[in-house]
Parts: sequence; structure tokens; C-alpha cells
Amino acid sequence: MKQYDAVVIGAGNGGLVAAIRLLQGGAKTLLVEKHNIPGGFATSFRRGRFEFEASLHELNDFGTKDNAGEVRDLFDALGVTDKIEWMQIPEAYRVIVKSEKLDATMPFGVEEFIAKMESYVPGSTPSMRKFFDLAEEIRLAQAYSSSVNGKTDPKVMVKKYGNFVRCGSYSVNEVLRTLKMPQKAIDILSAYWCYLGAHLEDMSFVHYASMVNRYIRRGASMPKMRSHEISLAMVERILELGGDVLFNTEAVKILQDEKDSGVAGVLLDDGTEIKTRHVVANCAPHLVFGKMMDKVAEADVRATNARKFAGRGFTMFLGLNRSADELGIENHNYFLYDTSDSVAQYERMKKIDTNTVQATVCLNRAYPECSPEGTCMMYFTTLYMSDDWANVKAQDYFKTKDRVAEMMIRRFEKDTGSKIRDSIEEISVATPMTYARYCGHPQGVIYGYESQYWDGLMPRLQMMAEDHTVRGLRFAGGYSMRLSGYSSAYFSGDISGRQTVGDIKREG
Amino acid sequence: MAFVFKKQIFGFMDLLRFKKMVPKRREKLAEGAAAPLPVSYKVNETAKILHPGYQKAVLREIVLNTQDTKTYVFETERPFYFRAGQYLTVGCKVGQSNVSRPYAISSAPKDALHKKVAVTVKKCGFFSGYLFDSAKAGDEFILGDPSGEFCYEPVKDSRQVLAIAGGSGITPFYSMAQSLADGTSDYSLTVLYGAKTEQDLIFKKELDALVSDKIKVVYVLSDEKKAGYEHGFIGAELIKKYVSGDFTVMMCGPQAMYAFLDKELKSFGLPLRRVKKEANCVGVRDVKDATYKLTVHIGFETYTVNAAAGETLLTSMERAGLNAPSKCRAGGCGFCHSRLISGKYSLAGADKRRLADLKFGYIHPCCTYPDSDMEIVVPKA
Repeated sequence: MKQYDAVVIGAGNGGLVAAIRLLQGGAKTLLVEKHNIPGGFATSFRRGRFEFEASLHELNDFGTKDNAGEVRDLFDALGVTDKIEWMQIPEAYRVIVKSEKLDATMPFGVEEFIAKMESYVPGSTPSMRKFFDLAEEIRLAQAYSSSVNGKTDPKVMVKKYGNFVRCGSYSVNEVLRTLKMPQKAIDILSAYWCYLGAHLEDMSFVHYASMVNRYIRRGASMPKMRSHEISLAMVERILELGGDVLFNTEAVKILQDEKDSGVAGVLLDDGTEIKTRHVVANCAPHLVFGKMMDKVAEADVRATNARKFAGRGFTMFLGLNRSADELGIENHNYFLYDTSDSVAQYERMKKIDTNTVQATVCLNRAYPECSPEGTCMMYFTTLYMSDDWANVKAQDYFKTKDRVAEMMIRRFEKDTGSKIRDSIEEISVATPMTYARYCGHPQGVIYGYESQYWDGLMPRLQMMAEDHTVRGLRFAGGYSMRLSGYSSAYFSGDISGRQTVGDIKREG
Repeated sequence: MAFVFKKQIFGFMDLLRFKKMVPKRREKLAEGAAAPLPVSYKVNETAKILHPGYQKAVLREIVLNTQDTKTYVFETERPFYFRAGQYLTVGCKVGQSNVSRPYAISSAPKDALHKKVAVTVKKCGFFSGYLFDSAKAGDEFILGDPSGEFCYEPVKDSRQVLAIAGGSGITPFYSMAQSLADGTSDYSLTVLYGAKTEQDLIFKKELDALVSDKIKVVYVLSDEKKAGYEHGFIGAELIKKYVSGDFTVMMCGPQAMYAFLDKELKSFGLPLRRVKKEANCVGVRDVKDATYKLTVHIGFETYTVNAAAGETLLTSMERAGLNAPSKCRAGGCGFCHSRLISGKYSLAGADKRRLADLKFGYIHPCCTYPDSDMEIVVPKA
């Protein structure tokens, strides 16, 4: 029987990083992936003369060599930074809420951001400064917390990171109002909220501020060859470090030890049994506890049932046969909302017929050569905050997805004034069904468990040790302690990979 | 500089609230239902119908369409669904080899919901020959996932579709015509269907029965002059005769037909977005005979097989009885995505790989010919 120190299930962003960390820690590691290519959603696909990015809008916290963010530091440590060609995203975002006549384009850089905000909302500067001060303290507090593996000293926390602790239990809206930020500035500042998928009364301020700070302070980056380049670079690194990788191979069961019910092995879809005492699962606890393990403690069932699925994904990809200039597509990254009231917007996002929110990217605005001359590529993403797609029968599926695609095109044309419809050369649409099939996520969820108030970033990080309930089993990816998003998934793989190395060493 | 954040009257109340976060989450997690976690989910169930993956199917009926073409009707293990125009792979064990080939589906999408699907195959090669001569009702096959983008796309295509079929290239259009007739799709379809003689027309009776205000079929015979049929090859003149204004062209037929039509279509000045061609399987190449050593890693096993210079790596692996993944056999779908360890190779046709695949040394064996000994890592099928 094949034997490994650790098996990583799933070659998504979290699993790839976990595998590298395990190998760097000296563990003999097998990575199994049910798809024929790595990356999970971090991939690309070809249609005609276009190669579409499957999911990444922009990678935050990467930065440049001189202004490195934590993701770059991590990639440096993993040994993959130089395997990838990077480029910088030119500006942060443009948010349009047409019904409220809100149309703001925001730059990267804290000072630039504050100045631009002042031009849209005179008098906003003092509260914006406080926001970035708080956000930076949060970053430092998190760095401290990571450095002690979540076992923070309360005295140090209160003394050095008092503001962090005092704001740490509140929602985005609660904190921004306390800072007396003008409403319009709140509306512009909170445009990124759909990247995290919980509304602003529910989403923890710490989580949101931490993300905004990473974007604005370090800028955002993109691999030239789409995220497939990152995923293949990671696989190359795993192979260099002597790891084994099996594609088209699904781990169907985690075999359990008779005595402690901990990890004893992994059963693959072709019947192969792999002996191991350590698994990093880059998939949902719902799947692991729901069908991959035979003996699951009631506490784990309860804890898993208690959690709420975050957004179910939908993305339309367009290859256009005219350039962004010709089509009047001015920006790289758009957020188009019906209302700045995120609670009302969140409600509308529950149903197929009422959800017209979109986060839209024109990749050529960051990387003009990403498609042939005289063309451009766009992708339009939205989230569904309920399982309305579960009501769509197979025979109505194609019509429904075409209808949503039409809604998205109409919305974009109406809000931005650019006309794209007659220039569509290639179209591809991914729905919750696509995401459900591609990565096996329940209900087509792409954001893991929702960052709702009680299950936000802070308590998850603080409870990392007690959430580790099964001997030998750790999680990585969007469902785990850092929540969803590319950088979060990479960090989770880093944490779980390194912790598993520790587990292995302790076992001797 | 530093301001003190305070939401409640006393800062310690904010601290207390922070301290309660962990107990609060602990409590919430403990309050979750003790009922077993779901084993499946509705969206995933629907996804399984839309993308059934490999499934067993029993051959139920064989219909002789023309002297060299038969339709094979299967009953599948599970209901599924597809878009008219798509293909799927049909495979089984022939001798020691696992063989499969992609064929356009000739039945209606709706039938698949009732576990019925058909492919129409012209006898022309190894596997089609096996099907034609040896397959019989009751035999078991493995069908693949319905795939391909050769479909009417309402969001971008013209509502007027001109289908140009050469020989057995009629099959996807027959499926499309059925999906129009039963209300699954809605656009207008004009089919220009070229064959040598009337005897070679597949589905003539069936297509004639589907003709309506939305479906028009024009038969074009190259080797026979006959009343009620156009004569010659499908070219600019015939196209102008049957369609005008804005239209989307969909072509399915042999490579020679595409080359001819590319020239004929020039005068229409159609943008790329208005033209679709169904890809053909990569065949043999004409080079000097040579046999190379192909080392293949699949899973934990390593095999060494012979690879003929004129054949694709996929074909060589299949000949050797290796279970290598294959789907489109035209280099485009990426299903056979494999890692190159060493060796020189040539591609059949345009390079349809992703950019990063080139950078990190990945190939699609279905469209790759060996130019030296080679070593590759192939995912299991």
C-alpha cells in the first residue's frame, strides 16, 4: 500500500499552498485533484481566439518588490513568485449606483484614495484617515496573531492593539458610523462588499477593513497568463520539492483509525487506498463530514449544520471583437449596484429575477495584450444569496442562463453607456451548476461559509485550535479559517500546511 | 496622531463585546442541528443531469441510414441533458484496448431526459468500423459528458442560422432541427446539406417531416442531377440564393469543405462571430515512417510503448491498451491535458492550449505527434 506523511485533497489555491508547505517541512506528500488541471476556480479556458480568466478579478496584498504585500511574501517563501509574470492593476474600482447618481472611480494608494474621496465627498478626509489608521492597526494585530498561531496574549492585544479590540466585534456600518463618516463616503468605500458576500450590517468591520487596506495600500496584481499560470507554477514547485500529484483522481473517503477515529488513510475513486495519518482537505466540511467520513462526532455535525453557505456564483465571459477604446469601456473593475443599501441589495440578490448586481472586469484595461489586437475580454460576476438556482430544472437551465446573461449585458450598457452587444464574438456562462460540478461545492457556492457576524474572520481565527476536532484532519480553502478569496485561500493553505508539519513532527 | 476608537460610552464595553465573540460562536456552533448532513444538494443534482460525466449505456437499436451510415440508439444509466449540436464520446473495449470516439448527437435534447440518446456514424475508421460491423443491440458502452460549443447561442448569434452540412456532418443539425420543432429552441434554421447522391442523404425523410416556417432544408447533390435538388457544391451562389441579411453560419463536414467554404464566404465579409466550424478529429500525418519510445506515467505506474511518427500520442497509447483520457480528439477541449517531461513533438493544426500550458510544458496528446522518444505524465482516464 502507498504511504504518505500527508495527503492533500483538492488542488485549489489552499491545497496547492498546503502541499508546498508540507513538502518544505519535509513531509512526504501526495496531492490529489479530481479535475484534470490544478487550481480549482484558479484556472483559465480557451474559446476561439480568447483565453478567459475563470475567476480572479485582481489579487490583493501582492504588491511589488518594493512594496511587497503579505501574499508576495508568502509566494517568495513558497518559491513561486518568479515563476509567474506579474502586472499591476491600474486603479482600484469604479462604483456606479445609477439610481442614486453615484459614479466614483477610486485609485490605489492611501493618500490618493483619501484625496479622491474628498473630491467626491468634501469633508470626508478626517473619517477616512481614521478608517485607514484602524485598518492598519488591524493588519498589525493580525500579523501579531498569526505570529503566535492565534494564541494571543490579551494584555498585549489591549495594550498595543486597543483600537483593534474595541472595534473588533462590530459590523462595517457600526464602525463607519461611529467614525462619523459621511454616508456617501461610506457608500463609495464599501463598494468592495460583494467581494466578501455579506452585507454591511452583518459583515465584520475587521474583515472588510483588512481587505480594503490590503487593496488600497499595496495595489492589486494579476498574473499575465491568467490564474492558470499561478496554479501551474505551484504544481511545478510541488514537483521540484519531490511531491506527487494525481489529476483526474477524486478522494472519495477519508479512512479512520479504529481507536481515535482520526485519519488513517484516503480512499481514491479507483479503489486505491493510501495510508496516511494526515489530511489537508481543500474542500467543504459539509462534504468531508457529510459523505467522506463514516464516523463523525455529533459536535462536528452540529457545527457544520450551523454554518451558512455564502454566495453561489454566476459569471458571464465575453470575448469582444472591438477594443476597449472603441467600445468605450473605460475601466478595469466595475461594481454596479441597484442601491448602496447593502441590506436591501443583499435581499435582491436572493432571486434570479431581482439580482442585477455585477462586479465586472475588462482585463485589457490592466493588460492590453491579453487578447488579440482590436479585441477585448470581459467577465461579469454576481452572487446569489439563496438557492434560487435549485428551482431551475435541467430543461429550463439554458434559457435561464441566457436570460441572466441578457440582464447583465443590459445592465452594463445602461450604467456605463458603452455598447457591447453587437461585438460579442465568444460567450461562455458559468452558473451555480457549473461551479457545483467543477469544484463539487454544495449548491454552487464559491465563497465558502458566509462571513456573517458570529462566524466572521476574528472568531474563526481565534477558534482555530478548537475547530481542529479530528486528529490528522485540517482544512484549507474558502471554507476555512481565513474565509474565501484568493489571498485568504492561500493563507489558509499556508496555515494548515504548516500546522500539519507541526502535527507530524510532534508524532515523531 | 493616534485616535482612540470607542463606540460605547465606555471603551471597556467595547472590549467586553469583543471578548464575547468566541463564546458566542461556540454557542452557535453547538446549536446546529444534529440531523445528518446532506449527502447531496439540489444544484449539484441538476449539475449531474447537465454534466453526467461517464455513464454506462446499453445499445438498444441500430438503424441503417445509408449504405455506410448507421444510427445507434442508446439507453443511458441516468437521465441527462445537452445543447443541440453537442457531441459525446462513445467507448468500449475493443480487443485489449479501451477505445472511444467523439460523435455529434443526432437525437433531441429532450429525449436524453428520458435516457435516450443517439449518434449517427459513418463507417470510415477503426472504431466506426467496429460499430458498423460488430455492435449489436444489448451491447454495453460508456458514454462521455455532452461537450462542445457547436450550438446556437441566443445571446450573440443571429436569429437566422445557416447550417452547412457535408455528408455525415448533418447529424448535429438534425438534433438542432428537432430541438426547434419541439420548442426547446427558437430561431430560424436553413440547412444546406451536401452529399454525393440522393442515396447518400442521411435523415432525408426525417428532415423533410420537420420542415416548417422555422426550418428549411435544401439538398445539394454533387454527383447527381435530379429534380427538387440543387446540383454541385455548396458555395457563395447557393448561399445567396437561400439567405440574406444578417446570419450566423454553422459548418459541419470534412476539412476540404471548410477550405472551399472559407473562400466562398469571403465575399460576405462575415466577422468571426458569425462563423462556427465543428472541429474534426485529428488523423494521421504524412511523414517518413519512424517508431519512437513513448514513456507514459499514469497514476503510480509507468509504461513504455511504441509511438509511430505518423500517429498522435493518444492513438499510440490507445493502441498499447493504456487507459488515457480523450474527448474532442481535436486539441481543443483540454481533457487529455498531460505534462511533458522530455521529447520533441509537432502539433496538428492550430495550438489551442492555454498560454501557461506552453510555459510550463503541458501538451494535449490528441493533437500531438512525436518527433523523438518522449516521456509524458498523463492523468488516468
